[in-house]
Amino acid sequence: MKRRLATDSMDSKPIQILLVEDNSADVRLLRELLKEISTAGFVLTVASRVAEAKVKLAEESFAVVLTDLSLPDSQELSSFRELRAAAPTLPIIVLSGVDDESLAASAVREGAQDYLFKTGLDAHTLGRSIRHAIERHVAEQKLVRSEAFYHSLVEHLPQNIFRKDLAERFTFANQRFCQLLGKSLEQIIGKTDFDFYPPELARKYQQDDRGVIRAGRILETIEENLAPDGEKMYVHVVKTPILDAKGRALGTQCIFWDITAQKRFEQQLQRKNDELALSEAALRKANEDLKSAQMQLIQAEKMESIGTLAAGVAHEVKNPLAIMQMGVNYLSKKLPGGDENLVMVLQEMKEAITRADSITRGLLDFAASKQLAVKREDFNQLISDTLKMVRHELNKKRIELVREFTEPLPKVAVDKTQIQQVFVNIFVNAVHAMPEGGTLTVRTFAKQMTETTHNEGSRSSAHLWAGDTAVVAEVEDTGSGIPQEHLVKIFDPFFTTKPTGVGTGLGLPVSRKIVELHGGTIDIKNKPDGKGVRVTVLLKEQRES
Amino acid sequence: MAKKRILLVDDEKSLTTLLKLNLEETGNYDVRVENWPEDALAAAHEFKPDLVLLDIIMPRLPGGNVAALIDADPQLKGTPIVFLTAAVRRSQVEDNDGIICEHPCLAKPATVDEVVAMIEKHARK
Repeated sequence: MKRRLATDSMDSKPIQILLVEDNSADVRLLRELLKEISTAGFVLTVASRVAEAKVKLAEESFAVVLTDLSLPDSQELSSFRELRAAAPTLPIIVLSGVDDESLAASAVREGAQDYLFKTGLDAHTLGRSIRHAIERHVAEQKLVRSEAFYHSLVEHLPQNIFRKDLAERFTFANQRFCQLLGKSLEQIIGKTDFDFYPPELARKYQQDDRGVIRAGRILETIEENLAPDGEKMYVHVVKTPILDAKGRALGTQCIFWDITAQKRFEQQLQRKNDELALSEAALRKANEDLKSAQMQLIQAEKMESIGTLAAGVAHEVKNPLAIMQMGVNYLSKKLPGGDENLVMVLQEMKEAITRADSITRGLLDFAASKQLAVKREDFNQLISDTLKMVRHELNKKRIELVREFTEPLPKVAVDKTQIQQVFVNIFVNAVHAMPEGGTLTVRTFAKQMTETTHNEGSRSSAHLWAGDTAVVAEVEDTGSGIPQEHLVKIFDPFFTTKPTGVGTGLGLPVSRKIVELHGGTIDIKNKPDGKGVRVTVLLKEQRES
Repeated sequence: MAKKRILLVDDEKSLTTLLKLNLEETGNYDVRVENWPEDALAAAHEFKPDLVLLDIIMPRLPGGNVAALIDADPQLKGTPIVFLTAAVRRSQVEDNDGIICEHPCLAKPATVDEVVAMIEKHARK
């Protein structure tokens, strides 16, 4: 399209020619020949000296310069050079005599579009040479501009760009890459990656190059690179094969740029994200802990309220009980003997009063936060003494007793009577769980606490801390175990599964209260094998003071 | 043998009525009841009891104060006093050898036999 336009313009508009020639015969010859060319009009301006030509070039615009090389004020190549300098954007055609062909050829090497022999020159040759010179010159100028454009791009893009041949030698490097390596372009051309990078890195780069050539495809990746100062950097790399017109590989071109800052930022972001996720998890955990603590507090509050209420109720119930007691006593004396039913009724009433009384007492035990009479005690001895109290019960139910006592055991600081009450409760529960007989195992040992424990729902500040030595008693029965739905309630006051009159529902709450007052914990679980219950009591070791 | 005079001070009317009945039924005791603690001192002056059965938790004037008044009174000084109260537990009484606030103590509810045993043990002979 452009070409046609150029031709059109050449055809329609007269072509301005500057002829630099001092020989008037030659000027005439040229003028005649140009007239013969029919396709286009030419306007010829003649300068007989280089100095004159320069003035004309400055004043007027020409499409082409025709010049002889032997001029009065300049000879040979210097004529051409001066004109070239004066009109760097114009095509120049050298007119040559037969004897100076080599000189004309030199001019062409220096940028002349063509050379023509004046001798035997015909109109056709001259016209074609002028047209071609102009067209070629336009194309050259385009190429120059295009090259300048790409050169500017390559040198000003913020990327490192280089090329290598098939032997992995650098054939090009832009200024940025030169600066990165701290070398001049001359120091880079012809060298390989091994001259600039540690061997393993250089090997990797060359491997990538070969991969790109083999696959004939672009390779885009993000990888680690070492700056010459040894600092690790992250780079975004784009490698492409360089192909000739037939598609054969000539080498590789690589563009890469530093994304370390971006990568660092990403990592930072990731880290922040992780931290955020972590702190969110911590927050969630704290929230759950708080909720659980709140539940414990509510539970503790409930226990306290029940305790206070129970004490009040117990006290108020005692007077009516006393009255009924008196009434029953009176009736027992006054009613005629011999009536079995009367005796039975009175007996039932007496027992009912005793039962109610024992419940009120249990309630008061539960509510009372007593001062403990604490002494350093031998835990094994204490448990043995307690076992004696229930020996009769064990024998009656044909329950075998297995003792697995660790000797010696660290001493504990306890109110012996109170802790015995706890174990009586535990043993009696075990007996009740084995109405058809079984085995009661009592085990003692010491252990180092690995975590801090605290009875759920307790408000006492005493804990067994991680690192404390705990003295442990485990009591196991071979009964049927505790249903899961009951396990959560066993420490609730008045919760009992025993027949009315057998259990008050206060044994375990009172036991727990006592253990807590000692800074210990009590835990009740079904045994892992599902056959029976294990009660674990932990008390803190009391070192000799 | 003359009947022992027992002053029973308790704000629980039903209790005093029944206890009086029970004690008098034995034929060994003369029982006077006071349901208002403020009247106890005057009653003691008048009745000259061999023993005072004294409730502790009573409106306006607790049993402990009544006991202190009796102890401080020159004429009544030395009158045996037994607390009969719901304010203590049996186990507490036992732990303290039956003495609370310097006087023997019986936890409610107590049987008539227990009350009689206390009277026989502590009443002025």
